[in-house]
Amino acid sequence: GGSAVIDMENMDDTSGSSFEDMGEMHQRMKEEEEEEAEGEAGAGEEEDGEFLGMKGLRGQLGRQVADQMWQGGKRQASRAFSLYANIDILRPYFDVEPVQVRARLLESMIPVKMINFPQKIAGELYGPLMLVFTLVAILLHGMKTSDTIIREGTLMGTAIGTCFGYWLGVSSFMYFLAYLCNAQITMVQMLSLLGYGLFGHCITLLVTYNIHFHSLFYIFWLVVGGLSTLRMVAVLVSRTVGHTQRLILCGTLAALHMLFLLYLHFAYHKVVEGILDTLEGPNMPPFQRVARDIPVVSNAVSNTTAKAIALTL
Amino acid sequence: RPYGGYEYPQQGFVPPDMMQQQPYTGHIYQPTQGYTPASAQSFYGSNFEDEPPLLEELGINFDHIWQKTLTVLHPLKVADGNIMNETDLAGPMVFCLAFGATLLLAGKIQFGYVYGISAIGCLGMFCLLNLMSMTGVSFGCVASVLGYCLLPMILLSSFAIVFSLQGVMGIILTAGIIGWCSFSASKIFISALAMEGQQLLVAYPCALLYGVFALISVF
Repeated sequence: GGSAVIDMENMDDTSGSSFEDMGEMHQRMKEEEEEEAEGEAGAGEEEDGEFLGMKGLRGQLGRQVADQMWQGGKRQASRAFSLYANIDILRPYFDVEPVQVRARLLESMIPVKMINFPQKIAGELYGPLMLVFTLVAILLHGMKTSDTIIREGTLMGTAIGTCFGYWLGVSSFMYFLAYLCNAQITMVQMLSLLGYGLFGHCITLLVTYNIHFHSLFYIFWLVVGGLSTLRMVAVLVSRTVGHTQRLILCGTLAALHMLFLLYLHFAYHKVVEGILDTLEGPNMPPFQRVARDIPVVSNAVSNTTAKAIALTL
Repeated sequence: RPYGGYEYPQQGFVPPDMMQQQPYTGHIYQPTQGYTPASAQSFYGSNFEDEPPLLEELGINFDHIWQKTLTVLHPLKVADGNIMNETDLAGPMVFCLAFGATLLLAGKIQFGYVYGISAIGCLGMFCLLNLMSMTGVSFGCVASVLGYCLLPMILLSSFAIVFSLQGVMGIILTAGIIGWCSFSASKIFISALAMEGQQLLVAYPCALLYGVFALISVF
């Protein structure tokens, strides 16, 4: 292929009138104009000085402006560079192979047996990030198929807020608890563990948003959700010493994980009115939803309207 | 002679000045290929006939757009890594507009969603690809690739004008089109960024992004 270098050879046509000659001619013209101007005005020193002063001022102003632009540009560049350098910190966590990701996904459903020896957690962020985005997509799909209407907010914003809020918020909270309970786990490992635990959630929701049987959902909730919870709990237990600490950590994680799946299923998809009533007590969804009995109301309204019209006719 | 005997052609007075200030205008791609001194002569005057054509000035080259479109439409054709060297946002803009237009024909006025999701999706892919690749990638390149690979989605939304996509056939067709788009996009990305063996890892986020577009088309 070609290179991007501009071939100046053909452009710099110095045969005949060259740049230097042109430059000299310009200078000469200017000087002669100045001489003429001086001659016409009866050149005094002050005029000459003024003229030179103006030129000097203009030159200085130009230089100052150029300087300021250079400083500003340098400042912006260094800021951008430091921002980029921060992103670079995350780079090693995205260095994965597809085989590794697949293996970790499958492993996240298999509880480990050996809890006396600290279990290895892969400190990787690609898999968890993709799982969170998948969960967002599944939520969107579920909301669209069930015609859920979010009054204060958008569907996309709600889905992203819920999933990322859970992942980042619960990870931070669990990391804080782990710090209190002296567990050996870093923030990235916690993010990774919780993120891979969302794999079970994704499978459950994908199936139960499309096949609407409540008994099926409860089976999936217990089996799939339970397996991923057991895996996370076993890994945490293997890294914590002391009965009380283990109980606190694992109890909190198990409760949050399972309740989140329950919340996702019921808040974002079609639901029987009876169960909605029982849930709205302790677990109030944060945003309003249009009441599900609107079709019934409108039917009643249209019936009474029809009757009224029939009476008047 | 007022200027000390210097010989200079009258018409040659302007060009060296102009050439000093703007030596390079109007060429879209690598200039050594087709650059001749004769074309430089066309910038000499400021006559209307001598100005370069508008499309050339804007940098829109229909031949290149067509070539890139063909690359996207043949999912099994091997992509050349160099085709994404120049950032061309004219093609993607046309495709986004066409996508919005086909949605309009189906009764959904959602141009805002299309642009918003494209912008956020491009930003997300830009961050992810910068983190995953050895060499970095520019935002323009990411936007350009994702925009071009939106073309099969336009087929899906035009199909949705006539038939409803909410049956089994619709699901299969949607899944196929999403796979086609993300396969093409990941193919171009890994050939441009030299990330062998990670095509699936790049294809999955693309599939999620195109899945959201498909969601707009279907519902």
